[in-house]
Amino acid sequence: MWFARLDAGWLFGDISPEALTTLEAVPLLITSRDPRVLKRLYPETYEDEEQEREWRRNAGEELKHLFASREELVRGDLQRIREPLAGRGKVLLIPDPHASGWLAALNAARLALYALNDLEPGWMAGVERERMSPQQRTALARIRLLAELQSVLLGERTSPPEAPTADPEEDASGDD
Amino acid sequence: MSSRPGGSTETREREKTSLARPWNVVVHDDPVTLMDYVTKIFMQVFGYAKAKAERLMLEVHHQGRSIVWTGGREQAEIYAQQLQAYHLVTTLERVES
Repeated sequence: MWFARLDAGWLFGDISPEALTTLEAVPLLITSRDPRVLKRLYPETYEDEEQEREWRRNAGEELKHLFASREELVRGDLQRIREPLAGRGKVLLIPDPHASGWLAALNAARLALYALNDLEPGWMAGVERERMSPQQRTALARIRLLAELQSVLLGERTSPPEAPTADPEEDASGDD
Repeated sequence: MSSRPGGSTETREREKTSLARPWNVVVHDDPVTLMDYVTKIFMQVFGYAKAKAERLMLEVHHQGRSIVWTGGREQAEIYAQQLQAYHLVTTLERVES
């Protein structure tokens, strides 16, 4: 995959089938109703139960609407993925006004993949990965790919992201 | 968040007390979110300079949490909601007297 900075935004090209699958899963991941995902995307804010309930009634509802609108934004850009020249691969344009929404959506998708696949903190840092199942390896590879797209949008990357593989031994994502 | 529903008398009294004391906005570490992303969000939400945002991000990373802002409850809630909108694990804690 390559990327380029245009006046209109960021252009990603030569998107592999694996990368496309990963990207197309983003809208589904960020609107997942799985309790593990909900727990992470709507974390407890107050220790006090009543304050927490009130928080969820107010802020929680607003966040739900925000995440839904973000899902629409990402889905719309994904639907506009093109293959401008036959055989030259697909390209995705992320317009500048959408970049902030994409950054957050990519983060949410990474968090959802982490939660849904029961990944462990050490694996993110490259520790004891031999205990990972093949499915977990694939999930980690996808998390890394989405991190690389985030890095491009953050302006931190100068070389192209690589397509995900199920062997995420060289993790350069620099996770927090 | 701009409005809060009424609730019971006890709740309102407790909220009066709560509003009178400052609150900490606390961001917690998570193993997935990128460090550069956290820095950017701190700059965006609070308007912090990059050096301060990076220092707070590193505090989150190394100590597991960081108090990123302290002040009135209403503003603290606004910040917490903005941080959660970007999926940073954020809690609100009343400053102990």
